[in-house]
Amino acid sequence: MSGDHIHAEPTNFFRKHVFSVDHKVIAKQFLWFGLIWLGIGGLMAMIIRWQLANPGDPVPVIGSFLFPATDGVVDPATYNTLFTMHGTIMIFLGLTPLLIGCVGNWAIPLMIGARDMIFPTLNMLSFWSVFLGGAVGLYSLFVPMGASEAGWTGYPTLSTTVNGLGSGETLWAIAVFLIGASSIMGGINYLTTIIRLRAPGMSWGRLPLTIWGIFFTSILNVLFIPVIGSAMLLLIMDRVFGTTFYVPTSVMQGAGGGDPILYQHLFWIFGHPEVYILILPAWGIIGDLLSFFARKPAFGYRIQIAAMFAVTVMSAVVYGHHMFTTGISAMLGESFMLLTMIISVPAEILFFNWLHTLWKGNIRFTTPMLFSIGVIFVFGLGGLTGIYLATIGTDIFLHDTYFVVGHFHLTMAASALFAAFAGIYFWFPKMFGRMMNETLGKAHFWLTVIPLTTVFCLMFVMGYAGMPRRYYDHTSSEYLAALQHMNTAATHAAFILGAAQLIFVFNFLKSRWFGRPATDNPWEVGTLDWATPTPVPHYNFKVIPTVHTGPHEFSHPALGEDRDWISMTEPLPGAESDGPDLGGGAVPTPAS
Amino acid sequence: MRRLFHHLAGAGTRLWSTAFGVAALAALAEAQGGKRWGPTEAASDYGYRFYDLFWLITILCSVSFAIVCILILIPALRDRARPGHKAKFDHGASLKDKRVTTVVSASVFLVLDAWVLVIAMTDLREAWWNIPDEEEPGVYQVEVLAQQWAWSFRHQGADGEFGTADDIIQINELTVPTDTSVSFQMTSKDVIHSLFLPEMRTKRDANPGAINEMWFKAIRSGEFTILCAELCGFAHYQMHGKLHVLEGDQFESWHEDASRLGIAAFDTEDEEAQWAWKWE
Repeated sequence: MSGDHIHAEPTNFFRKHVFSVDHKVIAKQFLWFGLIWLGIGGLMAMIIRWQLANPGDPVPVIGSFLFPATDGVVDPATYNTLFTMHGTIMIFLGLTPLLIGCVGNWAIPLMIGARDMIFPTLNMLSFWSVFLGGAVGLYSLFVPMGASEAGWTGYPTLSTTVNGLGSGETLWAIAVFLIGASSIMGGINYLTTIIRLRAPGMSWGRLPLTIWGIFFTSILNVLFIPVIGSAMLLLIMDRVFGTTFYVPTSVMQGAGGGDPILYQHLFWIFGHPEVYILILPAWGIIGDLLSFFARKPAFGYRIQIAAMFAVTVMSAVVYGHHMFTTGISAMLGESFMLLTMIISVPAEILFFNWLHTLWKGNIRFTTPMLFSIGVIFVFGLGGLTGIYLATIGTDIFLHDTYFVVGHFHLTMAASALFAAFAGIYFWFPKMFGRMMNETLGKAHFWLTVIPLTTVFCLMFVMGYAGMPRRYYDHTSSEYLAALQHMNTAATHAAFILGAAQLIFVFNFLKSRWFGRPATDNPWEVGTLDWATPTPVPHYNFKVIPTVHTGPHEFSHPALGEDRDWISMTEPLPGAESDGPDLGGGAVPTPAS
Repeated sequence: MRRLFHHLAGAGTRLWSTAFGVAALAALAEAQGGKRWGPTEAASDYGYRFYDLFWLITILCSVSFAIVCILILIPALRDRARPGHKAKFDHGASLKDKRVTTVVSASVFLVLDAWVLVIAMTDLREAWWNIPDEEEPGVYQVEVLAQQWAWSFRHQGADGEFGTADDIIQINELTVPTDTSVSFQMTSKDVIHSLFLPEMRTKRDANPGAINEMWFKAIRSGEFTILCAELCGFAHYQMHGKLHVLEGDQFESWHEDASRLGIAAFDTEDEEAQWAWKWE
């Protein structure tokens, strides 16, 4: 293996903290970036909830500052902007940077025993590309006529010029394109690094599940982000250069010839894998963490990998379930229904392996463990409610109602968010050399999981009662006004949920600078990231370690009574030699 | 066989849901003073199928989720870390164990999926996607034109053809007869809309540049809801209307009056109003 990715420690401030090529610094950049956007997107959610519970009332406290033109009232166009940007921000600028950008960058080199990503410059470019995408998205909020109002799905012909949305819509498409470019760069880098830079002895069968999850996600990123990129390019062409890829003749009077349904196919060929792009790293992380804190090997390690692989392969052939009411043919509809049902099987196999990992463990209920178990809970609720939406007989009624909103928030939003929290609480000590406060962490968990479940379960009832989503004011219809009490209740729960995140912000910031100093391996786990000193030195490993055992050899009988874990760098006591000399430490430490 | 399966499941779920869902929700609604916790009663002949399937899935999912919760709770209470307690090491200990977990859980889920799938397929073929042929006698036809932000409905006059002077055009109001299959063809003038009739338990997108089909048969008269379910701009939430279902005689007299008014209002100069198309 070449040492091209190894670079000297920078001495100048900009190269060290801003335009850094060090994966650890980039991981932290993604972390701060993701958290800030999560805050902005979360605030938007709070304003959306306020409007739904109190339609047309001025938003208290921040309203007159944010919407001075209307004395703090959210007008219908602003409301559409809010839910559009809330979705776009949470998915592309909040969760993706946290789960893939931060965890991927932090965990891959450290967990596989490498000194950095294989393409450090590409890695830096990946961050600055998403940063630029975020900047364009932020700027779009301030252009005349405001940011995109066409929903995070941006369906034409609402999103094409015929309807007169301002340049915000074009900027939205450009932002998504830039963020996509970042994900592709990240994906290529992650795949190559995992394939090429594993430490001696780190066979595929010893890779931590986190790395497997990110590996499969990267495959999906590299395959399907180009599809959304193309869809966005065509949309930009339609809006800026007057092409009509998505605009039919009847709308353009004479010109046209395009088809808005084409966009929906392109969008969902990407859009459904996107759900798995976010959830696969989450599955990987909790596959590891459940084992780490149950002090038991991950049950069915290979079966878990196989299930994740099956989901990866199938992720692109189920997308049609987003389009059951568009008029797709009965044959296509039924095929997509069947395929969607089948993809539930590998997901459910994962569930039983996780539950089996907990069974007869010696469970340490730390904050990362609580959030990992939280993923099983919320993903269970979200995944099972997917059956209603996969089944066309129920989907026809439930499509585009709050049932869908509840479902995807539990699956891709809450599960991914919980896994991101689990990851942050787990790697924080290694990242910043300090422990996060456990009491505050547990309070954060319980004050998150209870209101969150309340909000989205209420949305299931609202959807079952027939309440369409993306409505500015449900009380304008007599049929929906009778459901308004649930909107009010959901808003109260959502405000508790929002307030609980302040506990996390406080804990994160306080622990960052004033937390209890962390030891090298506070969680007592064996993966290579915890075999490094805290803080992690510039080159991660003085000598590239040789791996002798798997990542989850907890409570092995050979370890005796004194400890229940073993580092991957140690052979099991009394074990035969695990093969020929693997040549650990062969890569020299570069001069710094 | 499939029908039998369907009927059994239908009867079973109706029993369950009456005991379980409706009673509980109705009691809640009562206590809440008219606040609604579910959809109003179905008014179409296939509406019960949504209800049956929804509650069947709810029962299956509740059982599955309860199992998941129990399997979290037992170890959470029993296997807490404490001094002197050790986890059971089962790494590679039993391949059989893993196979059993996988095969048993997968087959349970496959059976559950297949059960729901078979009923859903039957429902689609017998109800939602069993759109009556336009040649079929006794089918009442309606053309729908959606636009920002209104629904236009076009009925044939006495001549039985669309696009003639005696057509009836309704805006944000639709009047149809009971016990008659009403067949829709719909399109949009500008952006994608979606015609959502919650009491009829159906919904279909109205796409610009294409014609989509939908149908239902109302089983009782009354005033029902028309909503738009696809985001169509800032007044999306106001794009609603009323669906009037009238008994045979009442409908006939409404149709005659409306057709007469239609002829009176017909204006060949008004190109905007000439949007009908031929059914094929």
